[in-house]
Amino acid sequence: MTALPEGRPEGRLDEPRAPATGGLGLRTRRAATNLFPPLLSAVIGLGLWEGLVRWFAVPSYVLPPPSQVVLELVGEWQYLLTELGWTVLAAAIGVAIAISLGILAGAAIALSPTVDRMLTSWLVVIHAIPKVVIAPLFLIWFGFGVQSEVFFVVTFTFFPVVVATITGLKSADPDVLQLVRSMGATRQQVLRKIMFPSALPIILSGVKLSVSLAPVGAVIGEFVASNQGLGHLLIRAVGDMDTALAFAAVTLFSVFGVLLWRAAEYVEGRLLPWHPSQRGDFKPGQK
Amino acid sequence: MTEPDRDHSPTASPAPSRPGTTIELERVTKVYGAGALAVQALSPISVTLAPGQAVSVVGPSGCGKSTLMRLIAGLEAPSSGTIRVGGRPVAGPLEDLGIVFQRDLLLDWRDVLGNVLLPAEIKGLAPAAARRRAAGLLAELGVERFAGHYPWQLSGGMRQRVAIARALLPSPTLMFLDEPFSALDAMTRDQMNVLLQQVQSAEHVTTLLITHSILEAVFVADRVLVMSGRPGTLLDDIAVDFPRPRRLSLRETPEFSAIVRRIREQFVRTGDLVG
Repeated sequence: MTALPEGRPEGRLDEPRAPATGGLGLRTRRAATNLFPPLLSAVIGLGLWEGLVRWFAVPSYVLPPPSQVVLELVGEWQYLLTELGWTVLAAAIGVAIAISLGILAGAAIALSPTVDRMLTSWLVVIHAIPKVVIAPLFLIWFGFGVQSEVFFVVTFTFFPVVVATITGLKSADPDVLQLVRSMGATRQQVLRKIMFPSALPIILSGVKLSVSLAPVGAVIGEFVASNQGLGHLLIRAVGDMDTALAFAAVTLFSVFGVLLWRAAEYVEGRLLPWHPSQRGDFKPGQK
Repeated sequence: MTEPDRDHSPTASPAPSRPGTTIELERVTKVYGAGALAVQALSPISVTLAPGQAVSVVGPSGCGKSTLMRLIAGLEAPSSGTIRVGGRPVAGPLEDLGIVFQRDLLLDWRDVLGNVLLPAEIKGLAPAAARRRAAGLLAELGVERFAGHYPWQLSGGMRQRVAIARALLPSPTLMFLDEPFSALDAMTRDQMNVLLQQVQSAEHVTTLLITHSILEAVFVADRVLVMSGRPGTLLDDIAVDFPRPRRLSLRETPEFSAIVRRIREQFVRTGDLVG
């Protein structure tokens, strides 16, 4: 390097913006104040539900009080967790396949006009079919069990990833593409170093949507073509008029959904620390 | 390129004695479109730029100065005439060239160091040497403290410094800058002018600066090419031999003002500027 002469303009007028650093204590306190209102409304809502069901003596097969659902959750936790495990397994395998296939298909469509013309219209046609309608067909094609469920999850979660990948890869900055080509980048380098990283935020939003759809797909698959999982448990509980167990399953299912969404957001934050959506706590000029 | 077998592995500082690259234009024209819709962007231009020289091209908007740069860079082909860089006709994008545009075009997902190292990755340069070179350039441009920052954490001037470091990383013998500072505020722009002429001297790189600021053109360059409005023609070719390093106070000297006045009067005469 070459030493600069003295009197080099120092960046006082041109200071970079410092990244925001939040104290841990402040963050915890903020989390507590954020959590309080939803907790309060939950307590009020559940209390009303419990009180009204008891006051009007609603039979528990119609609407069980929350306390009974909790008892069911505690008493049947092993059974519930085992069935949840099957649902999670089918959802996870299915969505993993859907994400891989979706990114590959999206990339092929975005990068090759021929593939685009050959596939895109058919994908739209297939997507227009209500998935629930074809669920019974999976039973015929793949038989009774997890494999049918997995295939169903794939069809259910494939589209958001494809669409996001196409949009993402097509929205790379043309000026940046020209710049790296002027540096002598190969097609593969352009894809790896520019197009894919700049598409990643959009692809991940598609992935997030798919991940949140996956358990729903798995449960629908279980309604139709499986003797395992929360979906199957739900069908059986309703058949037995064991509404409290059904509610317990639904509760577990929504907790699982929330955790899944949070996990997806966490991964997104780790992969995209630079993206405007992930640096929300920072405002220019803030100390 | 002057030396096809030039060692591409960058060192901490480029060899000050390297011969550099000559740019020769011979009756170069550019016409966009055809028939009745044809627009002549450049009328015949012939000029030779010496190796290691800092040349500014100044002219009103739409005078074809960016076109001129794109032709020399090999990003577009001329309609007629020949362009030779280092004695060889230009047939495609020049490899031995760093370009800086008005938009810094930094990659949002890479930190400053990662952005500067991009050309090294693309050209397959030795990583350790490239990192040393990057650290040297960041220091030279006064942004070494921000190597780990992301572009969004930097101001416009800082971002453009990083873009210049990226352009210089592979130690090209040519650097083209197309209106690099026109999006910056006046004070930052002045700073960047001082910095650019320092870096240009230190790196011994043949520099072509496209600008519509007369002050900037004269301050940074050894030679100013003055272009008229469409179709772009060469109005004047002025040698600027103020010693380096230059300070902003240079702009207040009568000699500097004389050159600025000479250029401005050309634009007034052509009607590109209202006197």
